Amino acid sequence: MKVELIYAPGCAECMTARTGLRSAAEAAVAGVEWTEINVLDALDYAVELGVLTLPALAIDGSLVFAALPAPAQLRDELLKRAGHD
Amino acid sequence: MLTIGKLAAAGEISPDALRYYEAEGLLAPTTRTASGYRLYGEDALRRVRFIQHAQACGFTLAEIRELLQLRQTDKACCNDVRQRAIEKRLQLAAKIRSMQSMSAALDRLIAECADGSQSVDDCPIMAALEQIDGGAEPAR
Repeated sequence: MKVELIYAPGCAECMTARTGLRSAAEAAVAGVEWTEINVLDALDYAVELGVLTLPALAIDGSLVFAALPAPAQLRDELLKRAGHD
Repeated sequence: MLTIGKLAAAGEISPDALRYYEAEGLLAPTTRTASGYRLYGEDALRRVRFIQHAQACGFTLAEIRELLQLRQTDKACCNDVRQRAIEKRLQLAAKIRSMQSMSAALDRLIAECADGSQSVDDCPIMAALEQIDGGAEPAR
C-alpha cells in the first residue's frame, strides 16, 4: 500500500505530524510505502489527485484526506483498505 | 486624509466598491467627518492596490481578508502566505482542467452535429444534452 503526504515547503504542521502518521501507517499495515511529495515538484500530479488544500494525504493514488488526519484515523483507514476491518 | 471620492479616483475603483470592501472587513476609514463622511489615511491606497492585485491572482475577498490578517498575526511568516498562494495555484489548475474537459466535451458535440440543417428537435447536440446518464457525451 502506498501512502503519499503532499505538502508545501516550510509547512510546520506537516513536519510536526509526519513522524506520528508514518509510524501509524507502518504499524498498521506491513510493507507500507511512505512518500513525501513537495507539491512544488509535482503540481500536476497534485491537481490530478484533486488536492486543493495543503497538506493532504493520498492512499494508492487517491486523495483520501484533504487535511491531515490523526494517526488513529490513518491507521483505521489503512486497516479498512487492507481488509482488516 | 482622503475622501471616498478621492480614494476611489486614485485607486481607479468605484466608491461603491470601497464601501463593499468595508462591509467585507477589508478596508475601514480612519475616521469620519462631523457630518459622517468617510476619511481614509495615507495607507488606504496601498491597501486598495493590494486587494486589486490579490483579486487579479484569483483570491476571493474572504481569502484576501485572511492574507491581510496574517500581517497582524505574530506567529505568521512568509511560508503561510506561500502556502495560500500554492493552494490558490492548485485551485486554478483544477479549474483550468475542468474547463478544458468542458471544452473537449463541446468539441465532441460540435463534431457530432455535422448536418446543421436538421431541425432543432433532431439536433444531436440537443439530444446529447438531454441524455440523463451520458452527460454531454454525443449521442451514438
